[in-house]
Amino acid sequence: MIEVKSLVKTYGKKQSSFRALDDVSFEIPTGASVAIVGKSGSGKSTLMHVMSGLDRPDSGQVIIDGVDILQLKNKAIDRFRAEKIGFIFQSFFIQANETSYDNVALPLEIRRIAAGSRKERIETALETVGLADKIRQKGGNLSGGQKQRLAIARAIVNKPSIIFADEPTGNLDSTTGEMIEELLFGLNKQEGSTLIVVTHDDDLARKCDMQIYIKDGKVDRINRPGGQS
Amino acid sequence: MRTVDIARRAARSLRNAKARTILTSLAIAVGAFTITISLAAGEGSRQYADKLIGSNINPKALFIVKDKALFETNAMQPGLREFDPNASTTNSGLTIKQLTQDDIDKLSARDDLEYVTPTYMPQVRYIEFADNDVKFVADVAAYDATIMSESAAGQLPPKGEQLADDEIVIPEAFAATLVDKEIVANTEQLVGETVSLTVVRPPSSLSAEQISAAFASGGQAAVEALGQPETKTYDYTVKALSKQSSTALAASSSIQVSPNQARELTEYTTQGTEAYQKYVGVTALAKGDRDPAEVKASIESAGYAAQTARDLQSLIFTIVNTLQGIVLGFGVIALIASVFGIINTQYISVLERTREIGLMKALGMRGGSVSRLFQFEAAWIGLLGGVIGAVIAVLVGTALNPTITEALTLGDGNYLLIFELVPIVIMIVSLVLIAMLAGWFPARKAAKLDPIEALRTE
Repeated sequence: MIEVKSLVKTYGKKQSSFRALDDVSFEIPTGASVAIVGKSGSGKSTLMHVMSGLDRPDSGQVIIDGVDILQLKNKAIDRFRAEKIGFIFQSFFIQANETSYDNVALPLEIRRIAAGSRKERIETALETVGLADKIRQKGGNLSGGQKQRLAIARAIVNKPSIIFADEPTGNLDSTTGEMIEELLFGLNKQEGSTLIVVTHDDDLARKCDMQIYIKDGKVDRINRPGGQS
Repeated sequence: MRTVDIARRAARSLRNAKARTILTSLAIAVGAFTITISLAAGEGSRQYADKLIGSNINPKALFIVKDKALFETNAMQPGLREFDPNASTTNSGLTIKQLTQDDIDKLSARDDLEYVTPTYMPQVRYIEFADNDVKFVADVAAYDATIMSESAAGQLPPKGEQLADDEIVIPEAFAATLVDKEIVANTEQLVGETVSLTVVRPPSSLSAEQISAAFASGGQAAVEALGQPETKTYDYTVKALSKQSSTALAASSSIQVSPNQARELTEYTTQGTEAYQKYVGVTALAKGDRDPAEVKASIESAGYAAQTARDLQSLIFTIVNTLQGIVLGFGVIALIASVFGIINTQYISVLERTREIGLMKALGMRGGSVSRLFQFEAAWIGLLGGVIGAVIAVLVGTALNPTITEALTLGDGNYLLIFELVPIVIMIVSLVLIAMLAGWFPARKAAKLDPIEALRTE
């Protein structure tokens, strides 16, 4: 369960100030797939940063499994992200000159998992995304779709409870994009992790259980699984 | 993140930027090379100096003089001094007080000294070898029984034992000259041959009574005879040839006789002159297990000046250390230059990898771990540079050593460059630490990077 309560985030000062988040509140049930939808500049990226503890709002709460992560100290927030959150980005952020293995190993290394027990988890994650045969390939040698699958493997290797996907298909052609979408929704159902997709693509948003529309820093409307808004 | 994982990631990202890594570490390698060479040259020089001192001076030896000015660095620029009848003038125009027989007796009577031997400097008119008429000149010195010289032919007395009064030691090089001049057939044959030293006593200034007495007894001829220099020839048997050595200086440049004979030869030539029984210095050994430094202090309190073998060693070492310091300075300057190289390279690396850093921080990597990642990269560069520089220095130095030895005529088996593991390891470790220090500025920049900003660079 993720509870977002009255988030306010302002950039700039006084006259030139700009409210990126203006009293944003909603709840996301555990294991759901949620789309945060909005145009460029609507505040959806800021919302994702605040929810994942990368950014701090001016006021408000983000309560994940009963803990307000905004009350945590930096070190605890870093640990929270390392243990509970997976990220998938529009431009992949794959290390081109590292192998698939080392790319996926990064979150495990950050969590200080001993080298011995990493191998199996990395192999499992790569198998899940269908890249088992590319384990020794350099990230730069992979195609766009393969890169995003590698990024997904990196996001799930820690078995996080929440996966943030920021425009995950934005840099991919529609066929490859659909494959990635299937992979993400499949994982969401199988692993029971919460999937939060940040996108401006209505087609992608509609495939999620729940849609939160953001406009000018405010929640415009929310479509819940039951259908009521 | 575990230190091992950070170090591995740092090494990997360096491998991915091979050209930059190697160029940056080459800058350090230049400094490391210079420092390794200077350390080796210092060590080699010190060992050579030790060898030089060891084969010329007994470590327990003391050199005692009356006049402290002899040991002072400004001895070449004497000021105005009071006249002293016991003083003599050195070649450089310095007036020094000399030791008299009275001083020698006092020093001999001390219970902390043994082998008290004045520095006899016999002036020999000419030398004849093997009953041949060809005359030679050479330095004659007293044989030093306290250091073991090597013989090229014949048998030197065992350490601590003196030559007999009818024995003489000839340097190997002299024997070679005699073979050239066909005075002896080969160097071996010289052993057992006779060597004659002819000394001259200058005419003494005569008193009126002496002249008139001589005139009364032998007329004009007797007076002339009285004014003639007297000559005397001493015969010796060659005991051994001292081996040519680049470190044993006296043994390879002077003919050596026993101290008794040196004394006799000296006194014959100086009798009736002001120089009679006056000596510039005395060599002696600290007795038994006495510390030469303590003996020195005691001698100095008795009004003499003394130097120990260690004083001489430290004098040479001061010169060696100064020269080494200069070379070391160049190495340090090269290192300072390379420190800026590291800082520059690492700053570029941080800029290039902004997104990677952003990702790592977004995935929950601590700022400290990011900082260490970049510091470890700097450390690897330092290690690589240090090892490259040291290895090249050892290879080049080892290859050049024989040439240097020949050029400086250090003698076989002596090398100017002596590489020792411990100083090199210490140098490399310090280089790694310096590199990490240099990497600190870029590393801090990386650690402070805002992940949101970093990931926005698209």
